[in-house]
Amino acid sequence: MTMPGHIGNAPLLEVRNLSLTFHKGKQPAVDRVSFSIKAGSTVGLVGASGAGKSSVARAILQLVKPDSGEILFKGKNIGLMDPRALKTARQSIQMVFQDPSVSLSPKRTVEQTLMEPLQHFEIGDAESRPEKALQILRTVGLDQSAMHRYPHQFSSGQQQRIAIARALVTDPELLIADEAVASLDVSIQAQILLLIQKLQTELGITFLFISHDLAVIRQIASEVAVLYRGQLLEQSPADRFFSQPAHPYSKTLLSFAKGETPPGWTGDKWHLHRGQRPVDEPSACVFAAFCPDKLPKCESTEPAMFSIESGNQHVTGPQCVKCHLYDEVNSHDH
Amino acid sequence: MTRDTWQRLKSDRFGMGGLIVVSVFALIALGVWSGLLGQDWSEVSGQHFEGASAEHWFGTNLIGQDILQRTLFGTATAFEVGLLVTVCSTLLGTVLGGLAGWYSHGWLDEIILWLKGVLDSIPFYLFAAAVAFALQGSPWAMHLAMIVTFWTTTARIIRGEVMRIKEREFIEAARAIGLPGIKTIFRHVLPNTYHILLVQGTIVFVAAINTEVILSFLGLGIQDGVSWGLMLAESSQEVLGGHFGNFIAAGSSLFLLMMGFNLLADALQDALDTRGLLG
Amino acid sequence: MKTPALKVDDLSVWFEKSGVRVPVVDHISFTINAGDATGLVGESGCGKTMTAMAILGLLPASGFGVSCAGIEINGRDISRLNASRRRAILGRDIAIIFQQPATALDPVFTIGQQVGAVYRRHFGGGKKQVRQTMLETLESVGFKQADDIAAAYPHQLSGGMRQLAMIAMATVCKPAIIIADEPTTALDGSTRTLILHQLKHLQALHRAAVLFISHDLGVVRQICRNVMVMYCGRIMESTDCESLFSHARHPYSAGLLSCIPRISAGRPEPVSAIPGQVPSAGDLPAGCHFAPRCTRAEARCHDSVPEPDDQTGGGAACFRPL
Repeated sequence: MTMPGHIGNAPLLEVRNLSLTFHKGKQPAVDRVSFSIKAGSTVGLVGASGAGKSSVARAILQLVKPDSGEILFKGKNIGLMDPRALKTARQSIQMVFQDPSVSLSPKRTVEQTLMEPLQHFEIGDAESRPEKALQILRTVGLDQSAMHRYPHQFSSGQQQRIAIARALVTDPELLIADEAVASLDVSIQAQILLLIQKLQTELGITFLFISHDLAVIRQIASEVAVLYRGQLLEQSPADRFFSQPAHPYSKTLLSFAKGETPPGWTGDKWHLHRGQRPVDEPSACVFAAFCPDKLPKCESTEPAMFSIESGNQHVTGPQCVKCHLYDEVNSHDH
Repeated sequence: MTRDTWQRLKSDRFGMGGLIVVSVFALIALGVWSGLLGQDWSEVSGQHFEGASAEHWFGTNLIGQDILQRTLFGTATAFEVGLLVTVCSTLLGTVLGGLAGWYSHGWLDEIILWLKGVLDSIPFYLFAAAVAFALQGSPWAMHLAMIVTFWTTTARIIRGEVMRIKEREFIEAARAIGLPGIKTIFRHVLPNTYHILLVQGTIVFVAAINTEVILSFLGLGIQDGVSWGLMLAESSQEVLGGHFGNFIAAGSSLFLLMMGFNLLADALQDALDTRGLLG
Repeated sequence: MKTPALKVDDLSVWFEKSGVRVPVVDHISFTINAGDATGLVGESGCGKTMTAMAILGLLPASGFGVSCAGIEINGRDISRLNASRRRAILGRDIAIIFQQPATALDPVFTIGQQVGAVYRRHFGGGKKQVRQTMLETLESVGFKQADDIAAAYPHQLSGGMRQLAMIAMATVCKPAIIIADEPTTALDGSTRTLILHQLKHLQALHRAAVLFISHDLGVVRQICRNVMVMYCGRIMESTDCESLFSHARHPYSAGLLSCIPRISAGRPEPVSAIPGQVPSAGDLPAGCHFAPRCTRAEARCHDSVPEPDDQTGGGAACFRPL
């Protein structure tokens, strides 16, 4: 994992106030999420399953239409782009899915799978495309012999490499990996993580790495963003997150990831009584019901995003947390 | 993958038996089409109702035509009807079912479903009669009537399958790069339905031949040439008089071919179904 | 010496493909004592689930072959029993918890009905007694409102709750042996911790022997005293958990451990990958199956199969252990 000091300042991708609801009247899957990704960095998007991580990814790719909010790629709003501009943007934003046995088209050869984006985006010409495909295949550790075979003829590790190759063939600037190593055995996961690290250092690709596995995130992310029930609760640099997580939810996540039960955890009540969640008031903090460090304020007022350092109110930023505990006004009361 | 399928098929005795039977009949049909067999189906070569003999293996019919020749020609008719109806109705059903499934719950889907509903509600034999009348006894009226009504079953199956397939991640991957719907359907979705189409095809083939038999009884069957259905229709009166030639020849040919196809279809389905086995 | 709860002696499983015998489990032997939890760890395809299926007698009849010198539960060899006797012990003396509770639970029956059915099948009993036992079991696995859970259908429960329901079904007859096949793999961090906690509690309560199958060494460490590392159908190393984690002796075990990403406050050690790939079952190398990928391999590793080097049958199956 690298922490280069020369990351560009303007964010490559910026998500502003993104909201997405799948079933009207139910809780939003993505609830006013804002964060940014700097070029060259790897943002690990973490949270339990159902927290909304995949929905954010799909909204970025325009696979689902958000209810509100904006997604800015290199400063331009993706949602407002005309088809041509959108096509160009899509060339630069690619996705690797969780399960390569279903994310690769089963009746298409590796060659066909790799050529398709090249042809669709009109990259190169009929002569240069096969070479490009082969070059990318080599980058992910496979060779020419893979070209004419079908996905089911490969192991899952190789399949995921092919899926990564498909994402790389258009020379994207941003790669979204949605639980890309979750289905893999640990030794294959290690190989793929090493491959991702190579892509980070050698090709300088920016990653949005979605995972529920904090140990994996620790290996490759330079920043961590935490989602809980559709809301972004914290965004911190990785070193800081893993030594001093800011949000109480982040602390519990980290505890569980280490195999420990966090002190004062009352969450098990919810796990055992699925239909009987404590009722949340709409304006309260989404985590209040289980928070070991709850303040009285947390049950009545939704916290804003605060800067971890200064306690000022923030919309997005490199180090922010959605928690009353960090309100500089609040801190004076304690 | 097809090698594995073939291996599995080979190990299924009944399926292979069915394949052999179907192949034999197919070869006969080819023989007729290429002018080697069954060419004398309309020639009056003997007395009426001759019994089985060395010259006429199944004897002759009412007019004195050789039943064996007619049976051989009937094979070609069966395959002609079967192939034409199967290929056309499968094509039509796949395209319409595919579009309906891809754009499911949209206006195109509604239209196609409505069309399907209308066609399914019309009693087939009435429809066949109406088509025959409208086309003034054209020999293709029967095929047309079948094609226009048989596609609905294929469409329904394909629609359901497409609706399932489009939820899969490799379709999402195609959408993620902005691949247009039509390209996605033909490149990624439909190729994953071929195994279903193969099995469905054999079923339609059988249905087409069976339908022709019944149409023949109604006088709406084949107009030029001879088919087993026609022979069976003829035989319905003849057996009362003790003449079983037509009945035995046409009936057993029909039975054998149907049986062969059914066994083949079942075996194909098992052979293509990779899910049951441990990967 | 006390009779072990579970003793597996020279178990092999294979399947036939195009006339060739493909080994899936290759002459493995192990014992688990009452009250102990032993982990069976390995990557997909290593044969750990097949081992469990063979012990339970749940392998499909056609296409698979099983051979063993014996499978003993509390001293009684069950491997020679006929099919119906074998079925009778399932759930009563030995039970299994599957990975995917969503598919293992029947969607049309309530949890109470399913747990009760297991008890009734083995012990009979009147409605009241069955219900009481069922409710007690639900409480013992951690449900604080057993009545509500008993009346619920599987789809009304979360993943963690369904898994607890499965555990209830597995423990209602208080079996001597529980086999858990990846019970926490499909679950999130907090639910996983909860389930493991409950399993540990139950294991201590019933003094059951637990065979905990997983690809996740970290999880195994939390619940098991001993661990066996499996690769391509063979046990590569068999030892207690702490020894494995502090100094794994088999190169494969050591390699596997170094693949696991760690969470640490400071800069984490980078993972290192084991070179090469797991060979497919039909294409296993001669000698030690791990030899082609092993950095310590020498000539004899490719020719002969190393036996575990420990007197008691444990240790590392390696000619040059670390």
